[in-house]
Amino acid sequence: MEKIAAAVRERAKRALATGEVDRVFAWKRGEFWYDVTPAVFETADETDELLWDSFCVANLSKYLTGAVRQGFKVGVFVKGCDALAFNQLLQDNRISRENVRLFGLPCPGMVDPEKLKKAKRYRGVRAVARAGDVLALQGKHGEQQVEAPAYLYDKCLVCRHPNPVVYDELLAEPQPVRTPDSDRFALVNELEAMSAEEKFLFWQEQFDKCIRCNACRNICPACSCEKCIFDNGESGVAAKANADSCEEQFFHLIRAYHVAGRCVDCGECSRVCPAGIPLHLLNRKIIKDIQAIYGDYEAGLDPNVPAPLATYRLDDADPFDGHQKGGKK
Amino acid sequence: MLLEEKTSQEQAFEPLIVAFCCNWCSYAGADLAGTSRLQYPANVKIIKVPCSCRVNPNFVLRAFQKGADGVVIAGCHPGDCHYSTGNYFTRRRFTLLMNMLDFIGIEKERFTVDWISAAEGSKFAAVMNGVLEKVHKLGPNRKMRDKRWKR
Ligand code: SF4
Ligand code: SF4
Ligand code: FES
Repeated sequence: MEKIAAAVRERAKRALATGEVDRVFAWKRGEFWYDVTPAVFETADETDELLWDSFCVANLSKYLTGAVRQGFKVGVFVKGCDALAFNQLLQDNRISRENVRLFGLPCPGMVDPEKLKKAKRYRGVRAVARAGDVLALQGKHGEQQVEAPAYLYDKCLVCRHPNPVVYDELLAEPQPVRTPDSDRFALVNELEAMSAEEKFLFWQEQFDKCIRCNACRNICPACSCEKCIFDNGESGVAAKANADSCEEQFFHLIRAYHVAGRCVDCGECSRVCPAGIPLHLLNRKIIKDIQAIYGDYEAGLDPNVPAPLATYRLDDADPFDGHQKGGKK
Repeated sequence: MLLEEKTSQEQAFEPLIVAFCCNWCSYAGADLAGTSRLQYPANVKIIKVPCSCRVNPNFVLRAFQKGADGVVIAGCHPGDCHYSTGNYFTRRRFTLLMNMLDFIGIEKERFTVDWISAAEGSKFAAVMNGVLEKVHKLGPNRKMRDKRWKR
């Protein structure tokens, strides 16, 4: 991975030095070894800080909307899920393809610092190197090797597209897919099997934790409206309610619904949630239903295929025919 | 004593149904049900919408939040929408919403969509009675309810 990182840095440097792009969106080190943050690079010199490692999980595509609107030509690094997000933004007319240079990065799966912490692998680590699926945790007292898959984000373990579905150039060798697609829905199936009461309690407990920071909305590549209903003070659901008004159910259902058919299942919403709410399960439920009822559709795969809720078929399933009496059949 | 109170309360339970009816078919159907003096529950609150696809999922959630025990969306039969295709979108949208309500634990029976033409006064009454009956069995909706809301 370090070799690829060098190539990534080199490529960004060249793009900026030759004026090929005005900005490069990538990642750089945050405060800690496991803390990598999205960063904007404007000059070739700055790119020394640019990095590509096992913690570059943040999806950069959403950041494009602002820069592209300002007329900049932007170079951006995209992993598999980021590329899906890019396509979705393209489909929603939020960015223009001509202004973006896409550097594709096949992704080996990103490491979840929380999992390392839980496994007590955290202490004394200064840096993490990676070769394939072997992580080398380098600390004060030498190096410890561990298997990467045990520490990858859950979303990466069920990733369907480790390789970007759209790019201008690919900077590394393609990566294999780890699991069959059906694995994604295991938890959704479990929840579906519960009774109404159990389901309600499960979600109530989850929703109660929400602090309405709106991080899930802000990171989401499908939540790209300039004016959001949740910013409207009059809506009654713009902030955490100080009385039990079911504002959180409203927020979560509507947010999930607003991205129905457009959610690319990048899992970023759940990742950024400070309260640890498994938001992606709501979206996966919708994805599962769409696939079951309206046929195979994957958001972000091809921006030219109309989204399932923006189209219809005359012979769509009709679950509401309990009272069939008269009328056209 | 407490038990008695509860039963009397349950007996007194009059479900509140909110029905979004499209102007061109279902609202006229409701009208016909009225002028034909068909029996349908008095506590169905009809909200007229220009087309069934005018209904936004927010409306449905809001109705539950503000006191509805059941919500109905009624539109023209598929193929008969005044705006040609509106109800095809309604169908997709609310198929997904119904499944999602179910997924977070709100009984499917509390929400339905149906197609009622201007000539189907009796169907209107049947649909409303049907929902009412189901909701009666389920009892008052306490989920998704703004706790400040009083009947
Ligand atoms: S809803 Fe969550 S998983 Fe879906 S596109 Fe938005 S951030 Fe990604
Ligand atoms: S990120 Fe989590 S806490 Fe913040 S608004 Fe979304 S669900 Fe609520
Ligand atoms: S006008 Fe009745 S459903 Fe569209």
